[in-house]
Amino acid sequence: MFLKIVKNDFIRNKISTISVLLFITMAVILATSAVNNVTTLIQSMAKLEERAVPADIAQMHTGEFDQAEIDRFTLQYRDHIAMQETMILQNVDGSNIHFSQNQTLAGTIQDISFVVQNRKFDFILNLDNEKLDVKEGFVAVPIYFMEQHDLKIGDTITVKSGGYEKEFVISDYARDFEMNSSLTSSKRFVINHNDFHEMFVIGPGEMEYLIEFKLNKNGDADTVQTAYIEAGLPANGPSIRGKMFLLFNAMSDIAVAMVIILISILLLIIAFLCIRLTFLASIDEDLREIGVMKAMGISKEDIKKVYLNKYRAISLIAGIIGYLLSLATVNLLNGNIKLYISSDLSGSLNYLLSLIAPLLVYFIIVMYCKRVLKRIDKISAVEALRRDSIEHGKNGKHHFPLIKNKFFSINIYMGLVDVWKRFKLYRLLFVIFIVCTFIVILPVNIFNTMTSPEFSTYMGIGKQDMRIDLRRTDRITEDFIKLQQELENDNDIEKFATYVTSSYPVKNEEGSWNYMNIEIGDFSAFPLNYLEGRGPEREGEISLSFANAAKDGLNKQVGDEVTVRVGGREQSLTVTGIYQDITNGGKTAKANANLGVNEKAVLWYIVSMDMVDGVNIPAKMDYYQNAYSTAQVNDIKEYTQQTLGNIINQMGTVVIGGIAIAIIIAVLITALFLRMLLSKDISQIAIMRSVGLTLKQINHQYMAGTMMVLVVGIILGVVIANLLGEFLVSMAMSSMGAAKIEFVHIVWQTWLLCPLALITTVGWTIFMSCKVAVKDDLSVVLRS
Amino acid sequence: MTYIIEARNMNKKVMLGKGHEIHILKDVNLEIEEGEFVSVMGASGSGKTTLLYNISGMDRLTSGSVKFNGREIGSLKEEELAKIRLKSMGFIFHDINLLKNLSLIDNIMFPALVSTEANKNSVNHKAKKLMKMTGIDKLANHNINQGSGGQLQRAGICRALINDPDIIFGDEPTGALDSKSTEEIMSILGEINKSGTTIMLVTHDVKVAAKTERILFMVDGNIVSHKKMRKYDAQQNDSREREEDLLKWLVENGF
Repeated sequence: MFLKIVKNDFIRNKISTISVLLFITMAVILATSAVNNVTTLIQSMAKLEERAVPADIAQMHTGEFDQAEIDRFTLQYRDHIAMQETMILQNVDGSNIHFSQNQTLAGTIQDISFVVQNRKFDFILNLDNEKLDVKEGFVAVPIYFMEQHDLKIGDTITVKSGGYEKEFVISDYARDFEMNSSLTSSKRFVINHNDFHEMFVIGPGEMEYLIEFKLNKNGDADTVQTAYIEAGLPANGPSIRGKMFLLFNAMSDIAVAMVIILISILLLIIAFLCIRLTFLASIDEDLREIGVMKAMGISKEDIKKVYLNKYRAISLIAGIIGYLLSLATVNLLNGNIKLYISSDLSGSLNYLLSLIAPLLVYFIIVMYCKRVLKRIDKISAVEALRRDSIEHGKNGKHHFPLIKNKFFSINIYMGLVDVWKRFKLYRLLFVIFIVCTFIVILPVNIFNTMTSPEFSTYMGIGKQDMRIDLRRTDRITEDFIKLQQELENDNDIEKFATYVTSSYPVKNEEGSWNYMNIEIGDFSAFPLNYLEGRGPEREGEISLSFANAAKDGLNKQVGDEVTVRVGGREQSLTVTGIYQDITNGGKTAKANANLGVNEKAVLWYIVSMDMVDGVNIPAKMDYYQNAYSTAQVNDIKEYTQQTLGNIINQMGTVVIGGIAIAIIIAVLITALFLRMLLSKDISQIAIMRSVGLTLKQINHQYMAGTMMVLVVGIILGVVIANLLGEFLVSMAMSSMGAAKIEFVHIVWQTWLLCPLALITTVGWTIFMSCKVAVKDDLSVVLRS
Repeated sequence: MTYIIEARNMNKKVMLGKGHEIHILKDVNLEIEEGEFVSVMGASGSGKTTLLYNISGMDRLTSGSVKFNGREIGSLKEEELAKIRLKSMGFIFHDINLLKNLSLIDNIMFPALVSTEANKNSVNHKAKKLMKMTGIDKLANHNINQGSGGQLQRAGICRALINDPDIIFGDEPTGALDSKSTEEIMSILGEINKSGTTIMLVTHDVKVAAKTERILFMVDGNIVSHKKMRKYDAQQNDSREREEDLLKWLVENGF
């Protein structure tokens, strides 16, 4: 009996049933894939961590270094420290690394170093997650470069610098837990001991030390780090905690999973709206039958079961199909994980856990159906038999008398009035258009913001034409002085400003000292946008990045004091402003130049500049890159693109996917909605035809109404995507250090191109779907 | 003599399920003169309403022809038929059939406003005049769920009259009304007919049919007989005689 009712209902409402099934299936596919992806990510991260054994504290250092001091320190803190290892990095400039035909790695923003495999921990792995064992003459290249330059196993790279020249054959790709991500600005190439020794002796590269500590289970990273700094051990480079590596590794995948979960929630909402509409339409149609059933004494629970069972069956089928299809789609999403985290994603836990998604969807749908079906409780048998619609309509609403219509043709006016009078019905379409516009505009806005020069604001950099980074080398100070002189004499440069970043001990909340990178210079030349307050204009002033000012940082507000030790003397600096920065783990600071450089711990120099109008910027960049081979010369756009490369690429895919999904949803729902609306209105249409309206005139009424809903929906969708989107993205980005993202709007895209794409495709659907079919004689409808 | 309707060999068959065809109208011939007031009677299922809908072009005949004002309507395109319905025909339905989104006056004005040459103010003026004539002028801006059956049917009559049609078709226009409302509606229709508009209506009610001047009697899809009566005049106070006379004729014909 139950199967028969479901079958008959399916035959009667084929299109609506298939649409609901489709949306639930799509929601299940996406939700299941996202859960599967997150589970896989967590599992494979754990596996990778287990194999790579990353450091809990990693301290970079350049210059003088005594391992014996560090060994003593390690021994002293053996309660906390399980292992210590110092990795020697031979930094080689990208321009000295040649590959393919006449190509080099010049222009990369990454610091490149050659290393040998560690002995105790922080192992660099191959794509099978096994410890790399590189033979003489071979090299393992980081995955980042393999992707960027399409390097293949068997290709060669040549390191040429001064008197040193050696060709290496690529034997492996290096999966490096600590430095995989494009957000980590260093990349390690692994070579054999003998090659490393040869390189060390001839010395094409600058030495850098990575002093790493692996802590005991109960070891406290804060204690060790503070003690290390207090002991005055080598620490003139950045210091990174283990959890930061984890965050960088997982970030782009988590971002994609979040977007997918968001889309699947939106799809579920759409499925709900469809269910509501089909319920109301079918209950409306069956109102008499419901009345008869009630009059016969059938309980309301049993009546509801007839409707509910159908959606139980649909959710079950959609759940099974969605889950099975997700097994295929999940492979489209986990490409990044496969490459950077684990090539072997076998295992059943993720498949088991992702069963949660279809089960959850099933229960949500059944609960929602039960809520909608409460309407049946409210109508009595007599009412059901007498009324022809469960919706009361909005007769109390404001009238729009036909006589008052001055601007539209009567049919367009009728269409618009219909939307006003039956907005509850059109609400579905309205929400769909808002959601679809949102799905299109939000990723477009994110993409445009990330690729715009203004994005530098979120990286703690003011807007500028070009930037030269001088990383630590023996010649760094000479180069810096020379560069400043050259820039002063270069007539093509409109203005420039120099910034020095060094590491300073800063007193934390507990009163102990932590090292913090502070950039000093003139911040009025290339001003930042501050979340609060202003830049450090006078002596004794400092501004903090959002993450640094936050509770888990220094916990400071504008006006508070920060104590910094410079040259052995404590200085109290006033916080003048808080800015956004997602670089260097989000924790940076900027102080007035009068603070003085911490000569021992200079990390890097940055020169920002603007060109005179009409100067060929790429040519200028080439010139300075050639003149200062160890420097990194970038325009800001390139800098952000290299840093956020992966995320931008994935966001690009999301933009295209978003547009496709939005258009498919909008077209499907519009077609479904209009079909249902026209069948619901069949008697009203027949009345209009009987008084002499042509089918064309009736079509115009429906087209006018739905087009108005479409246009208003799109306008609202764009506004919401701009306002709410900024809020959502800011929330997501606040953990990275950017708390208030302001979208870069490319007006012709957000207000013209995307809306036009929707209007054209959905408009065409409306045009096609509004065609009232004439099958039966008019009397069939008028007399029924 | 000018016929507004000339129908020849009208046949209407409909399919009920697979392979089950029923023949509703069987070679029906009919002429209606201009200005005539005709009613169609017969048992349920005899084909009265089907006849009305096919003559008016709302339904398409299976075979045969219908000429309206000398023009064959069976071969007309949907748009041309709509134009005839809009300008030259008026309909009054058993179920009233007003548009839900419009107030009573808007329902009445709607067919006139649809026609492109309509002047809004004169349409509005005319609608108010018709509402006054039918006694519903106070309900002009009411919704359709705020009127009684009789009031709504009067609005239906006003709508049918708004474009000054040549003929008004009524499908049991008083079928859902009480006797007082029926009297009033028939009186209005009588006045309209007096002004020269042809009226053809289907009814079960002898009292209604007795106020028309020609009664067609249908049995099993055929017009088996017709009765001509004098034009009804309320002044003559002979309703009862007319009803008895008609009833007697109907009984003779197997009603």
